[in-house]
Amino acid sequence: MSDIHAVSGILIDETTLTIDEFANACSVEITWVQQRVQDGFLDCTGEVDSWRFASTALVRARRLANIERTFDANPEVSALVVDLLEEVSTLRRQVGTLTSRNAS
Amino acid sequence: MEFRDYYQILGVSKTADAEEIKKSFRKLARKYHPDVSKEEDAAARMSEINEANNVLSDPEKRAAYDALGSRHQAGQDFRPPPDWNSGNEYSGAGMSEAEAQGFSDFFASMFGDAARGAAPRSGRRQGAAGSQQLRGEDHHAKVVISLLDAYNGATRAITLRAARLDESGHVVSDERTLNVNIPKGLKEGQHIRLAGQGSPGFNGGPAGDLFLEIQFAPDARYRVDGRDVIESMPLAPWEAALGATVEMPTPSGTVQVKVPPGSQAGRKLRLKGRGIPGEPAGDLYLEISVVLPPADTDKARSMYEAMARDIPFNPREPASNEMGAGT
Repeated sequence: MSDIHAVSGILIDETTLTIDEFANACSVEITWVQQRVQDGFLDCTGEVDSWRFASTALVRARRLANIERTFDANPEVSALVVDLLEEVSTLRRQVGTLTSRNAS
Repeated sequence: MEFRDYYQILGVSKTADAEEIKKSFRKLARKYHPDVSKEEDAAARMSEINEANNVLSDPEKRAAYDALGSRHQAGQDFRPPPDWNSGNEYSGAGMSEAEAQGFSDFFASMFGDAARGAAPRSGRRQGAAGSQQLRGEDHHAKVVISLLDAYNGATRAITLRAARLDESGHVVSDERTLNVNIPKGLKEGQHIRLAGQGSPGFNGGPAGDLFLEIQFAPDARYRVDGRDVIESMPLAPWEAALGATVEMPTPSGTVQVKVPPGSQAGRKLRLKGRGIPGEPAGDLYLEISVVLPPADTDKARSMYEAMARDIPFNPREPASNEMGAGT
């Protein structure tokens, strides 16, 4: 089914997410988010009672939660895995750039 | 609807204990994890594995599944008896709604649609069977756009797929198409939030939202870093050595660029504010590369020979290299 009219959304980062919206978007509890921020696994801005979350945190939090849930991993191990996934993704991008540069 | 053999999906016997099920699930989850798997059907397989694990790792659901399913085989026609599940309350083993979205109709018929997607996030699911109004689950999808779309904005028809099993037990994709306004100035990894485009609410609660994660289609001409864009600018040796004003196509249109004399390959010229628009706008970096004209005519050869004769230059020597137009 196609919608005839184009829908417009809100750009995250111009409007950051509150902790409640962020927890909803990641399918996790608010306390889960609080703990990961306090442990330094997730970044946010603002004071403790008004934390705001950006797009990069959204991707990261969903990956953290997924690894923890799937493998019963503790948060530290999950954060390490996600750090490595992010590093791999950066390196893959660089390899792609170098490959395309050498091919041209 | 066909019966689904969750034991077969997880590759365990019907007598497998909790530890065996957990082990097999993790092994398969590692193989088909969407962040690392190279298998084409990884997402669909992961959904299937999650579904099987959701049932078999929960003693209550497993018992209910075993009671009904012991006389069935995978692919056999299956209809649960009417109201068989009334009165059962599943305390749940912590499944995310995002995972549960793709669960099969078979799962829904066994454990109710509420367990599949419309209920709130895990941990709050208990009590959801009442008449409480609950917000629907947020959904996530990735959208691939070109760098030019990020500069100019665009309207894109986005097809969203959710894996499910059809009546014959095959994994199929349900599709819906949304026309979405892509605002200009997007960075890779940024999200657009579309209110009310997620799962429907529960008991009349509001629908969830759809989060679209922006990815850029690979483009050999450009590299992107936040809102900064790096583009290769090929120059002839004389343009790099003597300086020149050259016309350069960029994502925001053709610009005239003044190349300073003695520009080395690898040097970057910054065009402030010509990266991806935004507050602040990114910069465009033109990375110089020097392209040699081929020595394929007598004249070209003689000119190279004249340079070789008249210009003392050895690119292997650091002092010479600093002045030359080497790579």
